[in-house]
Amino acid sequence: MVLAGRRKTIAFFIGLGAGLILVTLLLYIGFVLLNWKHGILLFLFGIVLLAVIIAGVVLNTIFLVREIRRNEQHDAFINAMTHELKTPVASIRLYLETLQSRAVDEEKKKEFYRIMLDDSDRLLQTIEQVLRTGRMGGSHKLNITRIDLGQVIEEALVRARALYRLSNEALTYRANGPTTIMGDADEVRAAVSNLIDNAVKFSGNNVQVRVESEKIGEGFVAVRVRDEGPGIPKTELKQIFKRFHRVPGSLATRVKGTGLGLYIVRSVAKRHGGRAWAESEGPGRGSTFVLQLPIAK
Amino acid sequence: MSSILVVEDEAHLAEGLRFNLEAEGYQVNVVDTGEAALELFEGKKPEYDVVVLDVMLPGKDGFTVISELRQAGQFVPTLMLTARGHPEDVLKGFSAGADDYLAKPFDLSILIARIRGLLRRREWLVGSVASPAAAPPPSDAFTFAGKTIDFQVLELRVRGEVFPLTLMEVNVLRYLIEHEGKPVSRKKMLDEVWGLHEDTDTRAIDNFIVRLRRYIENDPTHPRHLLTVRGVGYRFIAEPAPAKG
Repeated sequence: MVLAGRRKTIAFFIGLGAGLILVTLLLYIGFVLLNWKHGILLFLFGIVLLAVIIAGVVLNTIFLVREIRRNEQHDAFINAMTHELKTPVASIRLYLETLQSRAVDEEKKKEFYRIMLDDSDRLLQTIEQVLRTGRMGGSHKLNITRIDLGQVIEEALVRARALYRLSNEALTYRANGPTTIMGDADEVRAAVSNLIDNAVKFSGNNVQVRVESEKIGEGFVAVRVRDEGPGIPKTELKQIFKRFHRVPGSLATRVKGTGLGLYIVRSVAKRHGGRAWAESEGPGRGSTFVLQLPIAK
Repeated sequence: MSSILVVEDEAHLAEGLRFNLEAEGYQVNVVDTGEAALELFEGKKPEYDVVVLDVMLPGKDGFTVISELRQAGQFVPTLMLTARGHPEDVLKGFSAGADDYLAKPFDLSILIARIRGLLRRREWLVGSVASPAAAPPPSDAFTFAGKTIDFQVLELRVRGEVFPLTLMEVNVLRYLIEHEGKPVSRKKMLDEVWGLHEDTDTRAIDNFIVRLRRYIENDPTHPRHLLTVRGVGYRFIAEPAPAKG
């Protein structure tokens, strides 16, 4: 409902801008018809003023529409953050109160401890993403060293298998060629983990994530993370890397998150002089995310 | 044994709720989408005594689910449980038809007390309908202009027709009736009926009033009982003077 309201507001401002331009044009035509006898200078002066007014109206409309969209993203982010921060806290608190106030057998206790650990991991991950996003915007310097990307990927897979309780077959890795790169270990680890987490989360119950690394040209190693999830519409392939962006429709609400994960991936790639992009043959046909980083000489 | 439906997509929370509510002696069913919850009520007599409903659900959100349930004539007592605890969200929940609202993270004992409260009210309702003569609570109703609001069984009776009301709708009506003839400010209503003390956008209450007018006014576009007092709030008049002309 809020979204529909904002769309109406955007349509209103675009309509208002177009209306003002039309009125200005009509005024100018009237001006020319009334003053054409007074010479070419007045006519040219009118043209210049007209161009300035029209440019001003267009700029103003663009600015307003961008601000409305930014507000929309901001609200979506606040909602997502509220959910991502409060839900694990609510869960941990519920289990702690349960353990405190009820007789719980040993087996159940172990299960509750595991759930609380998972929730604290989820909370920590959200906090780290927000802090990392803050650092990306600042002047935080990279600590560039030689990194074995293969090892980073293996470690991220071990962590994801434990976190999501997945088999070795559900998450696989194959290295094609050299895997030593130059980069900031902490940032590269975060980017690789985000790609794997994303692939697992969007796979639903059918987790078949294939990670590969290969040399691209002379200067780069690419990590490809392929999933068999719902795929991405072509119009969203670039948008999904924007900060706070969530794919519209029920797909986004089924997978909860902050909308920061892929933004971090793209920022890490850019800060290392590399690239990040997504490929998908469309909805229902899975997707591949590629992270390209500079190879070690 | 009372039966509770939990609509929650966060598996950990859902299982924690199931464990605790079962430990309290309730029969619990958990579904993870709004659509699944609506399906359980489709064209059926309600099998659940209370619904615990999350707001941020995949697909249809909790506000839509409760609103559709009420439109379909399902008046099962519903507690909304959500991370969105801002006063505007709370009002939106009540306005959509919720009976109670609890923000996450919540206190387990408060949650259980609220569920017990909803169940108690439902028992009164069922008890008084099943055997009106044996209903223990004394009559608690208000009649005006051929309409009767029964505060105990949560319904409005108009010329033989019965309209179920939610707990919050009854509370608002009761408050306005208690202040009959006097203007009541939006702020005061939010404070005393909803218990919202924060600096809330008081206009949020207007949607609620629009719904109440649909119940109690013959022509909701020209209200005669539930009047707007410009710049203040609302005023309830039980027996308005006959229209002139």
